[in-house]
Amino acid sequence: MKDKTTDYLIIGNSAAGLSAAASIRKNDKNGTISIISSEEYTNYSKPLITYYLAGKVSLEKIYFKSESFYKDNNFKLILGSKVDFLDEKQMLAGLSDGNQISYKKLLISSGGSPIIPKIRVVEDQNKLVGSIGSNDVHSGIGYAGKSPDKVNYPDIEGVFTLTTLEDAIKLKKYIGQNNLKSATILGGGLIGLKTAEAMLELGLQITIIELSDRVLAASFDKNASEIIENKIEENSGSIFTNTTVDEIIVTAGKVVSVVLRNGKKLATNLLIIAVGVKPNVEFIKNQSIKLNNGIVVDDYLKTSMDNIYAAGDVAVSRDRLSNEQKNIAIWPLAIRQGGIAGMNMSGEEVKYQGGFFMNSVEILGIPSISIGLNNLDEAAGVKIFSQFNPERDIYRKVTIKDNKIVGIILVGSIERAGIYCGLIGNEIDISSVAVNIAREDFGIIQLPADYRKHLVVGEGIEV
Amino acid sequence: MKKIYIKEEFCIGCRLCEIYCQVKHSKSKKIIKAFKKEQPDIISRVLVEEIGHNSFAIQCRHCADAPCVEVCISGAMLKNDNTGVVTCSEDKCVGCWSCIMVCPYGVIKRDYSAGKVASKCDLCVDEDIPVCVKNCPNEALKFFDTGEK
Repeated sequence: MKDKTTDYLIIGNSAAGLSAAASIRKNDKNGTISIISSEEYTNYSKPLITYYLAGKVSLEKIYFKSESFYKDNNFKLILGSKVDFLDEKQMLAGLSDGNQISYKKLLISSGGSPIIPKIRVVEDQNKLVGSIGSNDVHSGIGYAGKSPDKVNYPDIEGVFTLTTLEDAIKLKKYIGQNNLKSATILGGGLIGLKTAEAMLELGLQITIIELSDRVLAASFDKNASEIIENKIEENSGSIFTNTTVDEIIVTAGKVVSVVLRNGKKLATNLLIIAVGVKPNVEFIKNQSIKLNNGIVVDDYLKTSMDNIYAAGDVAVSRDRLSNEQKNIAIWPLAIRQGGIAGMNMSGEEVKYQGGFFMNSVEILGIPSISIGLNNLDEAAGVKIFSQFNPERDIYRKVTIKDNKIVGIILVGSIERAGIYCGLIGNEIDISSVAVNIAREDFGIIQLPADYRKHLVVGEGIEV
Repeated sequence: MKKIYIKEEFCIGCRLCEIYCQVKHSKSKKIIKAFKKEQPDIISRVLVEEIGHNSFAIQCRHCADAPCVEVCISGAMLKNDNTGVVTCSEDKCVGCWSCIMVCPYGVIKRDYSAGKVASKCDLCVDEDIPVCVKNCPNEALKFFDTGEK
């Protein structure tokens, strides 16, 4: 066993980790910075994997940092190595390759892995083989459970998840080799719909199976979900809601059909499990780092341990809109949190202002953007303005709480969405303009005078 | 860096800035051909907003801390370290619309003519003065350096 030392250790080689590494290097030109990844790729943009699948991005263009990025910044990159355990007192990380690395400052930006719900696996003659997944999705053991009848989902031909580039490469190859014309997607949330977007671009027919009563239940409201569902169904896709996959039927090791909880049996050679992700925290084995469905961080992105920070999909941080500690696993926040954590690890004291949820997905030519809290009921202090035009596949809804925007849904008409994002982020009182706020022609000209002047003229500029 | 500044009080909403921007970003660069022959319609990267007698033209502000660059998932949206100009490389853009989601000015548009890419003001880097500024009859757009990054 070799012992190595580094000034800064970063677990994770994606958005948060690399953004942190870059900001550490700005402050500390000489400190040693080591980045560990369990994957084999130098780096790639995770949100691009569905675009790679759809054929919009080649493997050469999926990298978001240049080849020379590591060398130019003198980062040490350790690929294909998992962190098995942390010893927070000794300040060292034990790696799957047997090495140990001791650090002065640690950033955990280990991201998330797919949640695999418990599903029975049955061989064609009703012979129970075992099951994949786990009911206890937040236990941290997930699909690595220990029961004797455990089946590893990657061992079943035609069953996939889609959270890494490797997943996408395997899936693309499988679709090509088997000349598939249809895909079954378990999960109608964000990952499920991003997967659906790619499958549709590839010309596959899709079937979506969703446990709640509609797709995008967490980020959309009923009207918005309905537009997307209708569009999918018009294009000969199928959606089954209020149900899930209870059984995978295999023949000669390959999926041939799935049985839903409602009893329906669907023939399929491709099942993509896309119900969500859970933070990668298995290597945190004692109580010294506080966990709560992810790693809890303070306003400086520091964990409960003094020299350990966390950022990105693994972190639980402040949601500005609900003022709760939340795990908001989105690319923009991973970049921002990583950047700030890096600054704070290297001598600065920068406060993380909190973040809020946002997402953009385009299904069958209908673009959509949702930001913030979109399922608040009209009550004291909450006002909703909306425009619903299902014939044109257009829906716009603005949720306002205490005179400030807290939620936006735009379907079919997303132009200028960022104006709303700016109003949310800058906490602008929009009570004077609220009546027009959901209109398609809503623009800067309608904004409250002060904020509009700030945007149009710019601060400190007299012209 | 040199940026375009807006003088709202001189804008009469004539939209010549939009027209010259469209021509500049057309294939032919000829006004009649661009408007009569080129399909689909060319997108103007400057946008005139107008209510009653109030109007102004707005285009990318080339922000110092550009949110569109921060959220870009493909590395297409970049701010040039030397010039400060924010541009979108159309060969890298995948049309995820993250930039549209966060631009507080609402000045990035969807362009389906060249695949599916984000379209925005490139500050006419190959011209001395951006065409919208140059062709504004009222000097409602100004191009100068205020020392801002």
